[in-house]
Amino acid sequence: MGKRQATILFILIIAILGWLISFFWNEYLSETMMRHQVMQLPAMVLLGVLTGLYFKKLVVKDLAWQISLLIMVMTSFIFWMLPRSVDMAVIDPLYNRSMHLNMFVAGLVIVAVLRAAVFEIKIAFLGMVAAMTLAVGITLRVFNILLCSSFNIFQQQETGLYLIFLSIALFLLTYITFFRGAKDELKREGSEE
Amino acid sequence: MKKVLLPVAVLLLCITAIGIWTRGFSAFTVFSYTLKNAGDMPRAFPDIEWIDQDSTVFHTRDKHKYLLVNFVYLSCPDVCHKVNNRLENIYHSVDSAIVPDQLELVTVSFDTQRDGLDRIKKYRELFSKDNIDGWSFAIPYKTSELEFSNFLKEMGVWIYEVPETGVINHSIYLFLISPDNKIVKVFDPAREDDPSIIKQLEQWVSGRQPSSLS
Repeated sequence: MGKRQATILFILIIAILGWLISFFWNEYLSETMMRHQVMQLPAMVLLGVLTGLYFKKLVVKDLAWQISLLIMVMTSFIFWMLPRSVDMAVIDPLYNRSMHLNMFVAGLVIVAVLRAAVFEIKIAFLGMVAAMTLAVGITLRVFNILLCSSFNIFQQQETGLYLIFLSIALFLLTYITFFRGAKDELKREGSEE
Repeated sequence: MKKVLLPVAVLLLCITAIGIWTRGFSAFTVFSYTLKNAGDMPRAFPDIEWIDQDSTVFHTRDKHKYLLVNFVYLSCPDVCHKVNNRLENIYHSVDSAIVPDQLELVTVSFDTQRDGLDRIKKYRELFSKDNIDGWSFAIPYKTSELEFSNFLKEMGVWIYEVPETGVINHSIYLFLISPDNKIVKVFDPAREDDPSIIKQLEQWVSGRQPSSLS
């Protein structure tokens, strides 16, 4: 199979997966808060990440743009974790589609930026996302007040628990990135000497 | 210079966007946003006609006393009954010189499809082991769905029926209405305990209202 056909096939697979998550399974995934927050959102980010990984030429090298884009990605994550945004995304189809598109683009941007980013930026970004996920998870887990009108308090607390698990996975990823990066740095320093 | 300016500008833009979305970082849920969006207090209590458990038709503006209004629906599996139990406690704890002459409680059902007069009357009886003359249960009277929906929006009450389950998630605020028919204070029973609400109610009714209107 030629490169062109492979690319078309890849785009087709991503488009089908995107359609499944965003349209076909949308009702099912919006039914509970856990599915919406812990499955649907990360799935769209993951699709963006996979797309970014496939298109290797997608790189942001300028430091100012790297930081700016990561700030935008973080804001997107914060925005779609706000209870009002969660409600709007479940109730209003326009917000729903915007959220999916936003998460896909966020995944794409993360790869494009982190691909060329210095080690410290990678660690800081991953650490912040993990910390934010943990904070949201704990908040949802311990709050006895219904925050999202589209769901119920049990779903809210269940989501909190799964977000805590997700944050642990993200912390692990941060540590792995840190130690791999540190090892590479040591190797580089060794070869320079 | 660009290295610093661009990220700072983007950061400010992002903070501004979140600030606008949450009305100045004060409304993070649809409940608080709807309330904030309805306007600052004091503001007029939207005028519609009500009918209570005894089939008495009334306007709040004709009461000429303080009213503590809350919104429920009787098929609620949980929170409405908890709030009404809290109101029962508040009713019996408030200075008896105040209730019902200067302050009346009004529990409104927004479920116009299911909650009729008979139903609210029976529901009220659950609370009437002791005298509750100053606590009415009411539903909108001769009010179209659109009018009532506009009323709730003007009040700042969010209502959303979860598809399939039929559960209606809604704001549980307690609205204090002054004798001149203005919303002067909103209590959030999820964040304020009964003694605090009672103390503030007594202060308002006795004319020693706290300086904050929010």
